[in-house]
Amino acid sequence: MGGMKQYRQTSRQGLKVGRLTFLRAAAPRDLVCVGYGLCIALVVVLSYILGFLKLLPYDPQDMDLTLMMVPPGASGHLLGTDFMGRDILARLILGTQAYFLPGLLGITIALSLGALFGILAGYRERTADRTISFVVNLIDSFPRLVLILLVIAAFKPDIYYIMVVVGITNVPTVASLIRGKIQFLRDKNFIEAAVAIGLNTRSIILKHILWYNCRSLLIIQATLGMAEAILIETSLSYLGFGVQEPTPSWGNMVLSGANYLLQGKFWLSTTPALAILVTILGFHLLGDGLNNILEAGGKK
Amino acid sequence: MARTILEVVDLRKHFSQRRRVFALGSSPQGIIPAVDGVSFYLKEHETLGLVGESGCGKTTVGKTILRLLPATSGKVLFDGRDILALSPADFRPLRKEMQIVFQDLDAGLNPKMRIRAILEEAVRVHYAMEGAQLRSRIKELLEQVNLKESTLGQFPHELSGGEKRRVGVARALAVGARFIVADEPTSALDVSIQAQVVNLFRNLQEALGLSYMFISHDLRMVELISHKVAVMYLGKIVELGLAGQIAHAPRHPYTQILWSSLVEKQNREVLAASLGGRSAKWGLFDFEHQTDGCRFSARCPVYQERGRPEVCTDPGAEPELRDSGTAHKVACHFPLC
Amino acid sequence: MSRGATLSVENLRTYFYTKDRQAFVRAVDGVDFKIETGETVGLVGESGSGKTMTALSILGLNAGDPGVISGTILYGNGSFEKNLLQDLGRYVQLRVEDGWVLEVRKDGRGWRRHSERLMRGIRGKEIAMIFQDPRGSLNPFVPVGKQIAEAVRLHAGIKDRREAREKALFWLEQVRIDSPGLRYDNYPYGLSGGMCQRVLIAMALASEPSLLIADEPTTGLDATIQAKVVDLLEELKSTVRVTTLLISHDIQVIRRLADRVAVMYGGGIMEYGAVRDTLAAEAASNHPYTAALLGCIPDRRHIRDKLPLQAIEGDVVDTLTIPEGCRFYPRCNQVHPEIRERCQGHEPELREISPGHWLRCWLFGD
Repeated sequence: MGGMKQYRQTSRQGLKVGRLTFLRAAAPRDLVCVGYGLCIALVVVLSYILGFLKLLPYDPQDMDLTLMMVPPGASGHLLGTDFMGRDILARLILGTQAYFLPGLLGITIALSLGALFGILAGYRERTADRTISFVVNLIDSFPRLVLILLVIAAFKPDIYYIMVVVGITNVPTVASLIRGKIQFLRDKNFIEAAVAIGLNTRSIILKHILWYNCRSLLIIQATLGMAEAILIETSLSYLGFGVQEPTPSWGNMVLSGANYLLQGKFWLSTTPALAILVTILGFHLLGDGLNNILEAGGKK
Repeated sequence: MARTILEVVDLRKHFSQRRRVFALGSSPQGIIPAVDGVSFYLKEHETLGLVGESGCGKTTVGKTILRLLPATSGKVLFDGRDILALSPADFRPLRKEMQIVFQDLDAGLNPKMRIRAILEEAVRVHYAMEGAQLRSRIKELLEQVNLKESTLGQFPHELSGGEKRRVGVARALAVGARFIVADEPTSALDVSIQAQVVNLFRNLQEALGLSYMFISHDLRMVELISHKVAVMYLGKIVELGLAGQIAHAPRHPYTQILWSSLVEKQNREVLAASLGGRSAKWGLFDFEHQTDGCRFSARCPVYQERGRPEVCTDPGAEPELRDSGTAHKVACHFPLC
Repeated sequence: MSRGATLSVENLRTYFYTKDRQAFVRAVDGVDFKIETGETVGLVGESGSGKTMTALSILGLNAGDPGVISGTILYGNGSFEKNLLQDLGRYVQLRVEDGWVLEVRKDGRGWRRHSERLMRGIRGKEIAMIFQDPRGSLNPFVPVGKQIAEAVRLHAGIKDRREAREKALFWLEQVRIDSPGLRYDNYPYGLSGGMCQRVLIAMALASEPSLLIADEPTTGLDATIQAKVVDLLEELKSTVRVTTLLISHDIQVIRRLADRVAVMYGGGIMEYGAVRDTLAAEAASNHPYTAALLGCIPDRRHIRDKLPLQAIEGDVVDTLTIPEGCRFYPRCNQVHPEIRERCQGHEPELREISPGHWLRCWLFGD
């Protein structure tokens, strides 16, 4: 391979290694996933806000019996109308109300309790570790579905109660992830060094462990938590346990629209079903893509 | 006459071992006495070199003195106060007086933090500085350790070995340390960078009046930079004296073996004697197979030469550090002369 | 049992292309040297000097990396001679625009296959290597004696198991491991670092190689153990007499074990000659880098008078951004105004300033 001597080019000057180099190093596929996921997340948040402020194209309860089951695109209804003449798009937007806040509740519980247990188990001595691991394993061994049904039976089929259960059952996952991270970090003696310069334990945990090192982990768990919340809420509504008519939820929209599939009026069911698919996929891809980028790209 | 800044009295650090992979353990209840009764004192502006093979406990001594590891027993008097007796809360403000420069280059450097953040954090733990005052302090620190300002914006993995070492030193200075434990500061560095680091240490000692505990297995560097040297073996100090004395007129057989193994000074006879015949006694000791009495007897050429005297293996007569000349102590029943 | 091997390295270049900087990391940048039969040649240098990469290039161990190698490595063994880099260039394609390389495409699999073919029968059998991390180079699940015996069976042509075990025990004794019979069954974790290193040496020599490449054999070991390993190597040098390429950053080790030495910096050889000419403490003529390296080591004078060490300014070279002109110029403290321009603009050639002693520096003649 002669002639290599001619290619004595050295690094182009001025190529700075800036803040976002990890983006350049990321695989394009991950960037696409994250991009898509972020769009979805944005749409969800937007929908929630619109629904909250009641800024909808049509009143979702407004029944226009003259325009029943109008196909998408016709008569000014972007996604058509359902069997009661109600605008489907508006109902979809309002549907996010059913899972968004409950989802956040579940996420908050899972992350805060999970982080707490994870830190206690990872940072403290052996006995605390064992006790907490025991408690966490106990939680883990409960079958979630059974618990949910129990809650429904004991109380009402309130999505908030259910998300509390979901949140708690997610604690083991988060706790063990954080615990693992801490065990890994403990061997890296920048924790020891932080102690050496005199930082108190609280700062060390909050700053060095959580903020700098567990950030990405927690964000990813949050995205997965939201995806899970959507799945649970829509499944429950589809089964008739969740949000009841006339309040719209993606799940019950699929349920009620199913009757009309055979009549060829597919959009009543299909649009909410697609919404579910696209959104859950979005959150999963966001989590997955972020995982690949953040966890792998932080190192050189 | 310089004050005594640090006095260590009978320091012990025992590790309890669980489920060791190799069998045996002649020590009671599986205890590893990594530091087993270490005493010395250090004056201001002085450097104490601590040498010995891997596993002899030198790093453990350093970390125990700074309370990075909980001591099993003993006293550490810093400026006259026993810091081991203080509660963690009372001790924390004192941490700024004494710091460690870790052996591992990446130690102490959170890979997600930029150098500026690392140094600012160190300053702000003990001093309330903000804005311009903080920035000028950081600049001062960089100058003291000879680092370019451009390093501030970089992450640890972007720095070279020498630069990382210097950031570690800067951190210790940022906190305001007067006493620094330098744990193998020259290992893992290129020769030319080692020279830079050693020069830096010496300059800082002159300029800022620092006191050091210089832990290293690089005997030449230790001899160069230390005023006094302590030689450790299996958790105990076997000889303690002025650097020149230790290097050229050692009294303990182990010290002599150590120094004559310098690659270029290979003293064949002494080494052959230490081999005790064919081979054996290679590699490291382990705490597993402790001998009674003097710990070094198993490898000691003098022990062999003198026909294995009883006193060396008498469990009740473990040699103590005894005065033997000016500022010189040896722990041996038959010190060399 | 032929030990007479020669190794001739000509214009060896190992470059790694980094896409996001569109530049080559010139790890080995035009290295020439020759090892005669039975000789020990040392490569000394700091990190980034290219010494380890040279050894890896010789053994074809970096086949998988995004690197390109050019040059000639002639391995001769009395009975045959072979270029270890024959035709490897076929597997690399460069996409060039205006003389600027934009992309390097390497057929990794083809390269590896070809490299394997070239090295078959040579790696391990003819050329043995000792790496820096002794424990990491041993299989943790196999007793050390068995690993040596395996090397014997694979490379020294002894198929009979019992005979191989005898050989392994023989070599364990040669490297001064006590109670070879017992140690044969030890696993690597039961041995200290120094002993693992000796096991590696035993393994390497048991393969009866014609060329031994030792990469930092003493680094990472305790001072006393280092001395013993060096002692052992010196002894083996006189008894076994293998042609050896010794790589180390420790000048003392090279001084004791090598016949000739090449001082490397930033991928190139700065000085090359007999050890007594090159590494003597008070050498009359030395490359500024060599002189500076020697000055970094504290000697009696430094210690006695507590002098500061002559550190070399700046940091070790970054092989990604090697400037025009002499590699060492940015850190050289012997530049004077008359030659400054040349040092900055043109890289000097290796010049023979006395028989067998080569230097690459503008200070030494035109």
